[in-house]
Amino acid sequence: MIEQIRNQARKLLEDGDVDVVIGYAEGSDPARTTPVFIRKAEDVDKLIYDPRCINSLPLYLNKRHEYTRKGWKKTAIIGKGCDIRAIVQLIAENQLKRDEIYILGVPCEGQVSHPEKWDGSLHDGNRASKCIGCDVMTPHETDFFPGDKPDVDRSNPYEVTSPKVANLMELELDKRFAFWRTDFDRCFKCYACREVCPHCSCNVCITDETTPSWIDPAAHKKGVFSWHLTRAMHLVGRCTGCGECTRACPMDIQVDLFNQRMKEVVQESYSYKPGYSLEDKHPLITYQVDDREDFIK
Amino acid sequence: MKTATLNKSDIGKCIDLLVQSDLRVIAPRLQPRLDDEGTDSIDVLTFTEVDSGNDHQVGEGLLPLNGVKEFLFAKHEPLFAYEKRGKKVEIIPVHHEYPQTVIIGVRPCDAASIASLESVFSDANAGFEDPFFTERRSRTTFITYSCTAPDASCFCTSVDLAPDSSKGSDLHLTELGDGRLHVEVITEAGEAVAKKLEALLEGEGDQAAREKAGASVHEKLTRLRNSAPIMDWLMDTANFDDEMWQRLGEKCIGCGSCTFVCPTCHCFDIVDENKGSKGYRVKFWDSCQFDHFTLHASGHNPRDWQYKRYRNRFNCKFKIYPEKFETQGCVGCGRCIRACPVNLDITEYMAEVAHKAANPNAMKADSDFE
Repeated sequence: MIEQIRNQARKLLEDGDVDVVIGYAEGSDPARTTPVFIRKAEDVDKLIYDPRCINSLPLYLNKRHEYTRKGWKKTAIIGKGCDIRAIVQLIAENQLKRDEIYILGVPCEGQVSHPEKWDGSLHDGNRASKCIGCDVMTPHETDFFPGDKPDVDRSNPYEVTSPKVANLMELELDKRFAFWRTDFDRCFKCYACREVCPHCSCNVCITDETTPSWIDPAAHKKGVFSWHLTRAMHLVGRCTGCGECTRACPMDIQVDLFNQRMKEVVQESYSYKPGYSLEDKHPLITYQVDDREDFIK
Repeated sequence: MKTATLNKSDIGKCIDLLVQSDLRVIAPRLQPRLDDEGTDSIDVLTFTEVDSGNDHQVGEGLLPLNGVKEFLFAKHEPLFAYEKRGKKVEIIPVHHEYPQTVIIGVRPCDAASIASLESVFSDANAGFEDPFFTERRSRTTFITYSCTAPDASCFCTSVDLAPDSSKGSDLHLTELGDGRLHVEVITEAGEAVAKKLEALLEGEGDQAAREKAGASVHEKLTRLRNSAPIMDWLMDTANFDDEMWQRLGEKCIGCGSCTFVCPTCHCFDIVDENKGSKGYRVKFWDSCQFDHFTLHASGHNPRDWQYKRYRNRFNCKFKIYPEKFETQGCVGCGRCIRACPVNLDITEYMAEVAHKAANPNAMKADSDFE
């Protein structure tokens, strides 16, 4: 499979169809892989793909990371299904143009939840919960796909697969609050959850605004809660569930639990799953005349 | 130097004795979890205040996520309160508690970082003292614990430290492999703590067994880099624009994780948290990896690319710290390597610099920037 991807990447670079191929390479130790930017055809053999390739690469297509300043006019990117959902969502939000991107889709068997849990194979003990019930293991939107691309039914509603979300929702409100208070106590507001998110697109994040300062930048309870709740709200109907915010958290706070719960709410209210259609606008930035109104009191 | 032995199984009792002496005790502890959290959850080890010896992980696990920095240099603290009355502003002092504290189970890399923080926050030569830091520092005693199982990200031996180093320690513990710990009293503060633990300490330590135990761990550190040529290479201003900075740094996403988990990173910001006509002036952790860290009011940003921000971080560790503060900027704990979501690895920079220092006439690669 990876040979076909490498050959296509080589061809794209040799023909001058793309300026760069964003993919995965071996990392600095055996458990890790790393994002890599391939500009020369002779470097394509660095590209790899396996369940350790957990990074969501569309992050680098977000304007916030200024790829356009590097002079890249057309970018090829290796995408597993969940990452392609992020690309599709970026296009739907006018953050990216479809013809600027060449998507090298890869068939995915699931991803390991943490690199340190990798033991040479993927199994129930180390598979990320986001992969359970995934309907884009054969990706939906691609320019190249190694082998045949079978038709997949993607009409099923989104499922929340992390048992922790269900556990939390069953807790009494004060206990649920106590859970977050304990976990947020570790937060020092490095904003890794923001920087790693493919969908955090604001030129100036609300938490960096100073006149006025909407969110206290210090990592006390008020500053931490207002940051995380705002972040969760800004991603409602947009989050494509890559789980990178939780993986990137250096203090192992599972911030994507908010996003998972919000996804359920959007699904229930609007039957909407982000990242599947290039045209659909997410429900909170559009309206239809037959939208529900019964919650307006 | 005074030595003794202690049964490893008595560490809980040590904590109890310290708590009973009205000391605040900080120890590595596993965070409580909900049941059945699935494969996305992992054990979270942090330095936390403990109120008894029943629940601690001293000597277990490798490094708590948070390190000891936050107990000396608070994540956030008010400097003073203020209140506007008409055209006048009244400054109201804020009372700070500085409890007598013992931090137990500190690994040698974290302990070595304390001298680095001290050199920034209490520079005796420059006559500057951060009162918050120095008050806490003077009331904190460190009981350190030699490493037994470094992981693939550890590289203390590449920065002149060792998994059994007692640098920065007040009282140092090393496992002897037979259920006993070798205890070394390093400072007067350590002596005072040892006195409180007298009932549990036995006879003299076993120096030979301690040396042997320490040496056996050295071999487990496989990430070896030559840090000797780095400072000189960085001092050569021509290398400030070396192609390496762009090539290695372009994947950096500027998340700042590396700086927040780093035991020697110490940058902070100050803001007024205002509510109506009064508020607090608050000091809190900041990061040189943020794009607005060096943003001028004019809109100009001297570090206008992410790779330049990471270049600053590397320079801070291997040039600014040793040159300006005469202490070490990197203690090899590996936290930045473990935390980095894109596998940006400081030891790759170290290896690259060592290579470039040894091959000054090597070909320069093309730049893709600007």
